[in-house]
Amino acid sequence: MNITIDGKICQAEAGEFLLAVAQRNNIYIPTLCHSDALPGQASCRLCIVEVVENGQHKVVTSCVYPVTREVEVITNSAKIVAMRKTIIMLLSARVPGNEEINKLREEYSVPKPTRFTSAADEQCILCGLCVKACETVGLAAISTISRGITKKVATPYDEPSEACMGCGACAQVCPTGAISSREEKQHRTIWNKRFELISCKSCGKHFITKEQIEYMRNKLGSTDDEILCESCKRTHIFKKFKDLYGVAAK
Amino acid sequence: MGANSQKKVLVCCGTGCLANNSLEIYNGLKSKVSAASVAVSVEPIIKATGCNGFCEKGPIVKIMPDDISYYKVKPADVDEIFEKSIMADEVIDRLLYVDVATGKKVQSQNDNDFYKKQMKLALRNIGEIDPADIDDYIERLGYQALNKVLFAMTPAEVISEVAESGLRGRGGAGFPTGRKWKQCAGYDSFPKYVVCNGDEGDPGAFMDRSIMEGDPNSIIEGMLIAGYAIQSEMGYIYIRDEYSLAIKNLAIAIAKAKERGFLGQNILGSGFNFDIQIVRGGGAFVCGESTALMASIEGNVGEPRAKYVRSVEKGLWGQPTILNNVETWANIPLIINNGSEWFRGIGTKGSTGTKVFSLVGKVKNTGLVEVPMGIPLRELIFGIGGGVIGNKKFKAVQSGGPSGGCIPESLLDLNVDFDTLAEAGSMMGSGGMIIMDERTCMVDVARYYVNFLAEESCGKCVPCREGLKRMLEILNDICNGKGQLGDIESLEEICSMTSEAALCGLGKSAPNPVVSTLKYFRDEYIAHIVDKKCPAGICKELTSFYIDQELCIGCGKCKRNCPAMAIEGEAKAFHTLDMQKCIKCGNCIDTCKFNAVKVGEEAI
Repeated sequence: MNITIDGKICQAEAGEFLLAVAQRNNIYIPTLCHSDALPGQASCRLCIVEVVENGQHKVVTSCVYPVTREVEVITNSAKIVAMRKTIIMLLSARVPGNEEINKLREEYSVPKPTRFTSAADEQCILCGLCVKACETVGLAAISTISRGITKKVATPYDEPSEACMGCGACAQVCPTGAISSREEKQHRTIWNKRFELISCKSCGKHFITKEQIEYMRNKLGSTDDEILCESCKRTHIFKKFKDLYGVAAK
Repeated sequence: MGANSQKKVLVCCGTGCLANNSLEIYNGLKSKVSAASVAVSVEPIIKATGCNGFCEKGPIVKIMPDDISYYKVKPADVDEIFEKSIMADEVIDRLLYVDVATGKKVQSQNDNDFYKKQMKLALRNIGEIDPADIDDYIERLGYQALNKVLFAMTPAEVISEVAESGLRGRGGAGFPTGRKWKQCAGYDSFPKYVVCNGDEGDPGAFMDRSIMEGDPNSIIEGMLIAGYAIQSEMGYIYIRDEYSLAIKNLAIAIAKAKERGFLGQNILGSGFNFDIQIVRGGGAFVCGESTALMASIEGNVGEPRAKYVRSVEKGLWGQPTILNNVETWANIPLIINNGSEWFRGIGTKGSTGTKVFSLVGKVKNTGLVEVPMGIPLRELIFGIGGGVIGNKKFKAVQSGGPSGGCIPESLLDLNVDFDTLAEAGSMMGSGGMIIMDERTCMVDVARYYVNFLAEESCGKCVPCREGLKRMLEILNDICNGKGQLGDIESLEEICSMTSEAALCGLGKSAPNPVVSTLKYFRDEYIAHIVDKKCPAGICKELTSFYIDQELCIGCGKCKRNCPAMAIEGEAKAFHTLDMQKCIKCGNCIDTCKFNAVKVGEEAI
């Protein structure tokens, strides 16, 4: 079916989320908590847009709003922009020193909020992507703790988690760089847990934790795979392909 | 009467009465009766019932068929009640209700103003039956509606009867129940689930608690009927864990219903199967939100989800689910038994039937009342509720739970139903009514509710979590005398965004306490921020008191009640208040019968 986004006619599948349709058509909608791999957070609310149906305007969250009918969408009406500004103001009051939020603040010309007291070192906006990533990996080493204004993301009892394998998926998906993953030569420290890093059989770079390898072997049931870092793995596959078919993989 | 007719003694064992020793009264009467059983031909029955409703005057003991109701009964009264009113037909005058207007003693509950204006449908059995005794329920037409739907109605007929009745969900939003069922029945995906929301979390609300404790079978029967209508075989009752008596009574009721063949396999030989499981909630207010509740049943963190795909299509475990509130379920058997036309004849056009309200706060008759929809607010508060304690001036009524709103005196003639309350900036919610008098600071009230919501928000989305946090920060500042110009505008900005951009219904309605107090009591905000004064004399930083010399008669009551010894004065001479010593607790102003203690500074 066809929907109109900011005047542009866009093709959409029934059930497809509005944000995906907009992104495919190069229509920019700001978002922090959306990841194509981990959809459905709907917590930052920046991607709100107006949907017009039978002359009725309603505010919807584009990252989880499924297209079911041919509707008109406005991504940046005065009302939506004003609401987004308030959301950015609130986010900025929470994480005043965060670069990503400051960029957004500048983009939307939101002045630095001065009315509220903020924790200077806070970087987390509680979007929940890290928790979802950990859950999806299959571990649930971190979770949200408490509720309301005291909610936070943590390991159980804030202690180094037994379940954590130090994969760093949480830090990778974090939109504000709030999760510290410190890497020294042969060690990685994340969520207050220090992991030993195993080196790549080919180039010698320390890149993966022992726990990760074990977890993957258990999951995949294989034991004989060589431990190769991302770039060596690519080279390796490339070579294999060439040996087999006489041509290089593209 | 006399010894030959069997007497039935109903002892209210609702939570309020239990707290005032009603179990001791019940046990006392029971042992008296069993000790005397040889001496009487017909043994009186002593029953522990659910909440009678008139909690203010509990514990309540009712004797049938003489129709005598005793109030504020103490364990020490047991002997006298047994001898005079159970073994004989005497009435004990001092335990009767005294009519406020006439000063006359009232023997029958039906002549008591508190009950007279009520219409008990959802509460029909509560206070009349022993919730643990399924026969009591059956005796009062229990499970007849189930029998009727199983053998004389098709699922579609059941749904259309409920739809025709106009019944709207009693949990807060007022969604038409029949329409919800019809939508769910339309999805061809099985299994389907039936859920009862018993996670009553509003401060001051105990409607659902009372029904779960006092008439658990009515909920079970309602759910069974829905199960039949949408072809579901499994129901869940989600109860907050604090409601231990409700959990106990429902568990007993479920077990007994199974024994009798009302629940389980091949119900009453009809071939219909349905089971119910109790799920205990962990006490999070947000789990009263339907999608958070389902997440909690599934074992996940109780956070709501966006409802663009409704629960009737994908609810519990992704399957079609209907979720209704306790009070809604209790209405269902009545609608089936008496017909939709009968139900439609009660209440207003848009809001049919009755609604249970818990009247609390500064109202004389604290308790649980059920009235037809459309009753004027004034009638509810001043007629049934008896007016404001101490005959102080009424200021506002807060309805609809923490995310409801405050309705001012000017709207007292409002006829209470789903739509009128929403128009007034409040909401029906689940039916809490908190009455506030002149000694209530509306900024402080907004702060109280925002604080509650800030703690009880699930914390998932930015508008609700961060919005409430900052609203609370501003309101705390205003109440502490640190309000700034521009604060009202900041509040309004956050409120208007949150009301549309929050993820769930609770988040969207979370700004209501601020919005409604700003709408009706804006001058109080301005007095706090600009004049640095709290007109009600509640916010300590912004309050001072003085004693009006013209009005003070020197009774000394304020002096005796002052914990800071800040009041001086000889008997029968006017008193003075030393603001240096005053801790602004307000005891003086609350106890003065001559209106001589004033808020503010004395004009010199």
